[in-house]
Amino acid sequence: MAPRASCQTMCPAQELRNRESQNRLHCFEVVPGTESFRKPKGDPLRAVKEYSRPAAGKDVTKPSCLRPPDVLLKTVCYLIDEIAGSTSLHPWTEVYSFVFDRLRSVKQDMIIQRLSGKDCVAILEPTVRFHIYASYRLCGEPLRIYDPRINDTHLQEYLSWLFDCYKTGSGPYPNQEEFQTLGLLYNLGSSPAAQDILELPERLRQTPSLKLALAINRAFLEGNHVHLLRLVQKLDFLQACALHRHLVTCRRHLLLIYCHGYHSRNCRFPLDRLAQLLSLEPSLTAELCQVYGIEVNQHNQVLFSKSAFTEPEQGSLDCKLYHSIVSEKQRGLTVKSIIHGCT
Amino acid sequence: MAHITINQYLQQINQAIENHEGSFCAELLSFKHPHVANPRLQLASPEEKCQQILEPPYDEMVAAHLRCTYAVANHDFVEAYKFQTLVVQSFLRAFQSHKEENWALPVMSAVTLDLRIFANNAEQQLQKKGKGQPGEMLEKAAEQLMSCFRVCASDNRAGIDDSKKWGMMFLSNQLFKIYFKINKLHLCKPLIRAIDSSNLKNEYSPAQKVTYKYYVGRKAMFDSDFKTAEELLSFAFDRCHRSSQKNKRMILIYLLPVKMLLGHMPTHQLLRKYDLIQFADVTKAVSEGNLLLLNEALSKHETFFIRCGIFLILEKLKIITYRNLFKKVYLLLKTHQLPLDAFLVALRMMQVEDVDIDEVQCLLANLIYMGHIKGYISHQHQKLVVSKQNPFPPLSSVS
Repeated sequence: MAPRASCQTMCPAQELRNRESQNRLHCFEVVPGTESFRKPKGDPLRAVKEYSRPAAGKDVTKPSCLRPPDVLLKTVCYLIDEIAGSTSLHPWTEVYSFVFDRLRSVKQDMIIQRLSGKDCVAILEPTVRFHIYASYRLCGEPLRIYDPRINDTHLQEYLSWLFDCYKTGSGPYPNQEEFQTLGLLYNLGSSPAAQDILELPERLRQTPSLKLALAINRAFLEGNHVHLLRLVQKLDFLQACALHRHLVTCRRHLLLIYCHGYHSRNCRFPLDRLAQLLSLEPSLTAELCQVYGIEVNQHNQVLFSKSAFTEPEQGSLDCKLYHSIVSEKQRGLTVKSIIHGCT
Repeated sequence: MAHITINQYLQQINQAIENHEGSFCAELLSFKHPHVANPRLQLASPEEKCQQILEPPYDEMVAAHLRCTYAVANHDFVEAYKFQTLVVQSFLRAFQSHKEENWALPVMSAVTLDLRIFANNAEQQLQKKGKGQPGEMLEKAAEQLMSCFRVCASDNRAGIDDSKKWGMMFLSNQLFKIYFKINKLHLCKPLIRAIDSSNLKNEYSPAQKVTYKYYVGRKAMFDSDFKTAEELLSFAFDRCHRSSQKNKRMILIYLLPVKMLLGHMPTHQLLRKYDLIQFADVTKAVSEGNLLLLNEALSKHETFFIRCGIFLILEKLKIITYRNLFKKVYLLLKTHQLPLDAFLVALRMMQVEDVDIDEVQCLLANLIYMGHIKGYISHQHQKLVVSKQNPFPPLSSVS
């Protein structure tokens, strides 16, 4: 029998009292105006149950501390609308840490109650969107503040769980197309991810976004990055966020094969043309070439050469400079609408 | 066997254990043996009887086995799996206490095989009711098998004839079957390493070696190590017994794509012999450089290729197909300075959608980078300039 859950607030009352008296409330959880008090007052409308590492002797199944599915969903919406989507809370790295931790606690409650099916999916979907958006938004932040590998580990777990729900549940799941697409783009080039898509029912595989994602995956595996970068133009913002971490790989591979393919003494490849192929401004293209040791002469011609190509030094490649292909898709979208999936 | 009483059965097992008759004991505990259909043995509470005649932990082991026959008779595979787990656990306790002897290896084979089979059946039963996570029971079964594997692998004291290490390959093969089914191929690695470093590596039975190399070959395919995959799968195919048409066909399903990637196309004869005509169009398309036919062939037999898990590998043949198509252009034009337009025309003839001169250059650059073409592209002259010597090296020399 799964444990009962009776906590009707985002944070169990007992935990709120404990953390308040121990001065362990997050600044997002205190009554406004009391932040500078010696013991800030906890706001029950803003406090959210935190993630706690499982330990021997700790009883995590107390009903008064467990939040049922409807409260969990309300919690997730609060985290998206009032925290992640807030325009006044800064810096976003702090916002991310808070939401990351509180979502992890939501996941804990879900696991303890052995939630499955539609309840699970409703919570996992915005969670996945949050982590995918974050993987783009926090690109380039120092490691001690944001570690992309940790974000990745958790995102993969959420994706895996979500796909299991789709597979074993009775549905219908109207967003399945969206998430299978995001999953494939995030895990571009991965055989297991592609194989999972291939095993989906025909009607799903024939949807426009999955066909596009499969075409991008195919182009990636065939080494046809010119075609790939063209297809990327058709992605929407969140899809581009999912693919974002592979952009460096794609552009690197293109430069590498061109160094081999155009290797000759008289090579004079027009910079503008290369810029178009890489979906970058010409000035940025020249910078990127420099990072990889490829010479660009004063007539804006690229001198590809096998021996010139070198791997960039650690930290010399700032992805943020080169990911306008993603950022320009954001246009007027708010963070709130992105994570709720109303793009 | 189908008529003996419970007492006779227990006496027989007890004797087999005392006389170290591994094979006979295995039969008495195997679901392939007719005794499991004997209603006199299908008892709901055989513990007392077993305790009267057998020493621990054999009493628990046999009691669990009999409970299992009861469950199977009632078609309850979830229960059956539960009891088979107890059988394996009790067996392992006994097995570990056998110092420097391995007479019980046949028993181990029988009970672990049944464990895996029941895990499969139990999962199917649960799926039908919409319960249980796929792969959950198989993973638990795998953990048990791994415990057995560790006992075998760590048997360093016994002489070769009495070593438990002889059980390693059988268990590996069982574990491979599970790991492939639940799609956790990375778990195969420690097994492969253990077998590779064991001195018995080449001494196991031919049948076991064929199965072993089949799975390790498939893993190599998955890791894109095609040369190794070819060696292993070829061995498996050649040594697989002539009479096992079905097994030979299964091996071929994986060997063919690997050989094609290395430039070796199968004959139509071979495909007909093993009922693998699905590969015929793929083969034809790749050797002719016919991208259109390749896409059609992949699409036509998509379901089959996806089910076997080779669809993605066959898509890799596209690069080989481009190479073959471009080689044709070279042979047709008979010059070492080939206009890029010629390749564009060739691709358009193959109804490759949306392709333009930029993509042609990218495809050519990739083939040059991979070593399939020796030459360079001149952007100024819009030409591919190929080496006068062997501009399209043979496929087997490249990958």
